[in-house]
Amino acid sequence: MRLWSYRIPIPLLLEAWGVQYFLWGVVSWLLWQLWGAQIQRAGIACILTRVLPLSILTSILVEMIWVLCFPNLPLNRPHMAYWHRLWFELSEELFDNVVIFWCAFGLFRGMGYYQSFREKEDAANQLEAQLAHAQISALRMQLNPHFLFNTMNSISSLMRTDVEGADMMLEQLGSLLRITLERGDAPLIRLRDEMEFIEMYLAMQDKRFVGRVQQSIKVDASLYDVLVPTMILQPIVENAYAHGLSKIDKGGLLAIEAHEDRGHLIFSVLNTGIGLVPDSSKRTGGQGVGLANIKGRLQLHYGDDHSFQISEIGRNTVQVTLSIPLQMSQSEEEETARFVAQ
Amino acid sequence: MIHTVLADDEVLARQKLRQLLRDEPDVDIVGEGASASETIELVRAAGPDLLFLDIRMPGMDGFDVVGALSSITDKPLPRIVFTTAYDQYAVRAFEIHAVDYLLKPFTTERLRTAVQRVRDQFSAPEQTTGQSNGKSKHESPYTTRIVFKSRGRILFLPVADIRWIGAEENYVRICTEKETHLLRETMAHLEVRLDPQVFLRVHRSSIVNLQYVKEVRTEPTGDFSVLLVNGQKVPMSRSYRSRVSELLIRG
Repeated sequence: MRLWSYRIPIPLLLEAWGVQYFLWGVVSWLLWQLWGAQIQRAGIACILTRVLPLSILTSILVEMIWVLCFPNLPLNRPHMAYWHRLWFELSEELFDNVVIFWCAFGLFRGMGYYQSFREKEDAANQLEAQLAHAQISALRMQLNPHFLFNTMNSISSLMRTDVEGADMMLEQLGSLLRITLERGDAPLIRLRDEMEFIEMYLAMQDKRFVGRVQQSIKVDASLYDVLVPTMILQPIVENAYAHGLSKIDKGGLLAIEAHEDRGHLIFSVLNTGIGLVPDSSKRTGGQGVGLANIKGRLQLHYGDDHSFQISEIGRNTVQVTLSIPLQMSQSEEEETARFVAQ
Repeated sequence: MIHTVLADDEVLARQKLRQLLRDEPDVDIVGEGASASETIELVRAAGPDLLFLDIRMPGMDGFDVVGALSSITDKPLPRIVFTTAYDQYAVRAFEIHAVDYLLKPFTTERLRTAVQRVRDQFSAPEQTTGQSNGKSKHESPYTTRIVFKSRGRILFLPVADIRWIGAEENYVRICTEKETHLLRETMAHLEVRLDPQVFLRVHRSSIVNLQYVKEVRTEPTGDFSVLLVNGQKVPMSRSYRSRVSELLIRG
C-alpha cells in the first residue's frame, strides 16, 4: 500500500498495515477452510486455470475492503471517489497482493507436504512395529510345537508302564500350555514368571531323565520383577538336555543362574554332557535353529545392548551366558491371591 | 458316606471321575447328569452331599445350576467341586464357596486332595461354608483359605495346610507339605490376615504355623531357629523366642 506521504503518522501506518494483514489472514483462513485440500492436491493445470484467477480476484477483493476501511487515504491528495481510490491503490498494490496470495499458497502446499510426510512416517513406524511383533510371535511359535510333540511321546510311552506318571505328566503339560496361552503375545514378562515356567519344564524333564540329572536354580529374589523376553530360557534349557545331558546316563548337572552385573541381567545355563561338538552347524535340527531364534529376539528387543555366548568352560561342560539390560516391571498387576475368612 | 452327583456333558469326563472315585471308599455316586437341567433334577431328588460340577455345559452353565438350586430348594446345597478346562471362573467359584476347582486335565492326586477337603469340611462343622444356614457363632475375621494361581493350576489352599511362609523381596513363598508357591504379596499383608493363635511371625522374613512347630533351637552360632515337624528349619529372631515358647507350651 502506498500512503503517498513522507510525513505519515505512525499509528495510521500501523493501522493500515494491520488491517491489510488481518484481511489476508481472514481470507487465507477462509480459503483453507473451503479449498484447503484441493489447493494441496492441485496440479499444474488446476493452478493455472483456477488458482491464478483466484489469486487476482482475491487480491482485488482484499483491496476493495481495505479501501473501504480508509476513506481518507491517500493523504495529501484531493478527495477522490471510492472507485477512483480503488483504481489508484490497485495500480500500485495489485502485484504486492498477488505475491502475498502466492506466499499463502506456498505455505498451504508446504503444510500439505509436511502432513503427508508425517503420515507416511507414522505408517512406516507402525509397520515396523507390526513386523517386529510378527517376527517375535513367529519365532516363539517355532519353539513350542516340537517340545509339545516330545512330551506327548513321553506320555505315550509312560502310559503303558506307569499310569500315574503319565497322568502327572499330562497335568503338567496342561499347566504349561495354559500358562503359555495366558501369557498370549506379551513380548516381555517378569523373570519370576519365566522361572516358574522353567521350573515346570524342569519338573517334566526330571520325569523323563529319572535321577540322571541334578538340577539347580539360583535366582536372587531382588531380580524377580525384572522384565525378560517371554520364553527366552526354555530353548536354552531344552538345548542343554538335547545336546548335553541326554548323551550321558548318570551324574548330569544342570545349573541355571541369574544375577545382576552393571545394569545388566546375566543368565547362565551350565550343563554337563559331551561338550561342544566342533561341527555343530552341520547337525540338522540342532542348536542352529533354536539359538538363532534367541539371537534374533534379543536383537529385536535390545538392539546391540545384549550379549549371547556359548562356551566350553571345562571338560564336557558347556555354559550359555546371556546378558540383557536390566529393566524393572513397573506394572502393578491384578491381585494374585484372594483371601477369604469364613 | 458322601453321596455324590457328577455333572459333566462329556461321557469320558464323567467316566474318569467315576473310575477315580472308586478308590475313595466313603464316596458313593448317586447319580450323573449330562446337562444343567438334568443335574438340577438329580440334586433336587437325591439331595447329595457333594457335587462335581463342570462349568461349560450346553444350555446353562455350572453357575446357573448353583443359582437355580439355591432358589428352588431350602435344603442345604451340596458341597461343590468344579471341574473345568477354563481357569477364568476360579474367583467366581471361590465367591460361591466352592470347595475346590479342578483344572482339566487333573491327576488322581489332585482329585484325592479335593475329596479330602470335602471330608475336612464335614468333620469341622464350625468352619462350614457360607451355604449352610446362617452364620456360625464365632465367625473368625481371619483368612481360612487363599486362592491363587501357581504353575498353571488354581489352588484353593486352606491356610491350615501352610507350614510356613518366607519373604523374598516383593514375593512370599508359601510352603505346604509337598510344595512351595511364590506369591506376589507382602508379609505384612499376609500377617494381618492370618490367625495369630496359629500363625506366628518369628522373623522379619518368616511366619510359621505353630501346628507344625516341633521345637525351638539354639544354633551353635547363637542364632535361634524354629524346627518344623518335617525337619525343616526356619530362622527366628531373638525377640520372638519367648513368645514362641509360651505359645508352644500352651498348645
